[in-house]
Amino acid sequence: MTTNGWLLILVYSVLLLAVTKPLGVYMVRVYDGSLKWLAPLERGIYRVCGIDPEEDQHWTRYTGALLLFSAVSMLVTYVALRLQASLPLNPAGLPAVADRQAFETAASFTTNTNWQSYSGEQVMSYFSQMTQLAFHNFTSAASGMAAVVALTRGISRRSGGRLGNFWVDLVRGTFYILLPLSVIMALLLVQQGVIQNFVNYVTVTTVEGAKQVLAMGPAASQIAIKQLGTNGGGFFNANSAHPFENPTAISNFLEMFALLMLPAAMVYMFGRMVKNVKHGWALWAAMYVLFFGGVATAYWAEARGNPIHAARGVDVVASASNPGGNMEGKEVRFGIAASVLWATATTDASNGSVNAMHDSFTPLGGLVPLVNIQLGELIYGGVGSGLYGMIMMAVLTVFIAGLMVGRTPEYLGKKIQSREVRMVMLYVLIFPAVILTFTAASVLLPAGLKGLNNAGPHGLSEILYAFSSTTGNNGSAFAGLTGTTYYYNTMLGLATLFGRFAMMVPMLALGGFLAERRTVPESAGTFPVTTPLFVVLLVGVVVIVGALTFFPALALGPLAEHLAMQAGRLF
Amino acid sequence: MLDIVYVVATLSFFGLMWAYARACEYLGREPMGEKEQL
Repeated sequence: MTTNGWLLILVYSVLLLAVTKPLGVYMVRVYDGSLKWLAPLERGIYRVCGIDPEEDQHWTRYTGALLLFSAVSMLVTYVALRLQASLPLNPAGLPAVADRQAFETAASFTTNTNWQSYSGEQVMSYFSQMTQLAFHNFTSAASGMAAVVALTRGISRRSGGRLGNFWVDLVRGTFYILLPLSVIMALLLVQQGVIQNFVNYVTVTTVEGAKQVLAMGPAASQIAIKQLGTNGGGFFNANSAHPFENPTAISNFLEMFALLMLPAAMVYMFGRMVKNVKHGWALWAAMYVLFFGGVATAYWAEARGNPIHAARGVDVVASASNPGGNMEGKEVRFGIAASVLWATATTDASNGSVNAMHDSFTPLGGLVPLVNIQLGELIYGGVGSGLYGMIMMAVLTVFIAGLMVGRTPEYLGKKIQSREVRMVMLYVLIFPAVILTFTAASVLLPAGLKGLNNAGPHGLSEILYAFSSTTGNNGSAFAGLTGTTYYYNTMLGLATLFGRFAMMVPMLALGGFLAERRTVPESAGTFPVTTPLFVVLLVGVVVIVGALTFFPALALGPLAEHLAMQAGRLF
Repeated sequence: MLDIVYVVATLSFFGLMWAYARACEYLGREPMGEKEQL
C-alpha cells in the first residue's frame, strides 16, 4: 500500500462528503416541486402523455404505473434490438441482436443492472446504444429515485397511503437531475479525450504491422449517464478499462466519483424530507463505515498480492518502478489503489462498471465486491435503490431494538407493527432466495456447468457472482463464465427482473402502509436514530443479515479458494 | 418462435408482479386490534 493510494481514497472521501449537502438540497427542491426552471417542458410532456401532475397516487397505483412503464419500455427495447439491422445509425452493418441476448439486455437495462453478455462494439449499433440503452440508463435511474422519494413521502406524511405521482417523479428526476449532470459530465469526459462521434470503425496499422479495427461511436454521452445513473453498462466490452472510455487519471477519478455522487446526496435529501437531517447523516455515516471497511480490505489484499508469486521470486513489493502486489487484470495506467477504489464503489452502488477485472483479484480482494453486492448494495447504493435498501435495514434495526426493550418500535414517528415488518422481511428474504436458488440450480444442471471456465471454488464464485450481480442489479461480471447461452441469458435476465421488482413492490407497500399511520411525537421510549449507537446497531444488522445469509456459499467459494491459495493451490 | 416466448414471459412477469402487489396490499390489512393505532 502506498501513500499515493491512501491519498486517493482520502480525496475521494472528502469530495463525496463535500458534494452531499449541496446536491441533496437541490434534489429536495426537485422532488418537492419548488424548482421550476423547466416548467414549460414539463407541462408539454404531461399534456402530450395525458398525465395529471396534480394526482396524488395511492401506493398501489404508484406501483402499477412503475410496473407499466417498465414493462412497455422493456418490450420496446426488445423489439428494437431484434430489428436493429433495419434501423438507422448502423454504419458497421451489425445484424439483429439474438433473441436470448435481446431479452437479457432489455431486462438488464430496464432494471438498472446493465449486465452485458455481449461486446458493445460488436453487437450494438449506435441507434441501439443511443435510443434504447441510454434511454434506460436515464429512466431506470429516475425510476429508482422516484421509488425512494415515494417511500420518503410515506414516512414523512399521513396521506391515506398516497405517495405522490410516479410520472411526475420520473420526469423531474430525469430532466432536473440526470440530464443536466450528464451533459456536464459528458463535456468533461470529452475534454479528457473520451470519444464522441458517429464515424464508421477505423482500420489502422499497428507498430507490428498488423491491421486492427478500432471501434468508434458516441461513447462520452453514454458513459456520463452510465456512471451518474449507477447503470454501469460500458460502450465497449472492456468498459472503463478501455482507453476510449477512460483515457486519463482525471477521467478515471471523474467517472469513479460520479458513480457515488448522487446516491450519497440522496441520503441527505432523505434527512431533509423527513425533517431529521441528523438521521440522514447517521445513515451516511453507517454507509461510510461499510464503504471504508470494504476499500481498506480490498486494498490490503491486492497490495499484498499472491504469496505464490512471491514464493517463485516475483517482486511484489511496491517501489518507484514497480506497483507491487497483484497487478493481474488491472490497468497499469491506474494501478492497485484506483482499481480497488473503483471495484468497491461500483459494487457499493448498483453500478457494475469496471476499470479492472474482478476475476483476477486475489480471493479476498474479489470477496469484497461480492460481499458488497450481497449486503444489498446499500452502501450509498444505486440511485434510489441503495437508499431504500438502507431504510429497510433501518426499520429492521429499530424493530430489533424495540424487541430488546419490549416497546412498540417507531421509525421517525411512525409505529412499526406487524404489517410493516412483513414487508421488510419480504424485502430481506427475496434477495438471497433468488440468488441462492438460481446459483444452486446452475451448479446442479448440466446447462449451468457448461458455462464454467474454472473448476473448484473459483467456478462456484463465478456462478455466485453472476447471480448476485444480476439479482442485485449491479451488472459487473466476475468474468470466467460464458454467459452467452440460452440458459444463462434467460436465467440471468429473470434474476435481474426479480431482483428489481420483487423487492420494489414490498418497499412501496411499506411506504403506503406508513403513509396511513399518524405521526406520533418522540417519547422517552423512542429509540434515537441519530446517535452513534444507532449507527453501530445498523451496521451490525446489515453485516449480520448479509453474513448469516451468504456465509455458507462464500465459505465454499472465495474463502475456500483463499485457504487453498495459502496452501499453494490455484484454480 | 422464441420471440413470442420471450414477449409472453415478459408480460407474464409483470402480471405476476401486479398480483404480488395486490397480495402485499392484502397482507397489509390490519387486524382489528391494531387499527386504532393508524
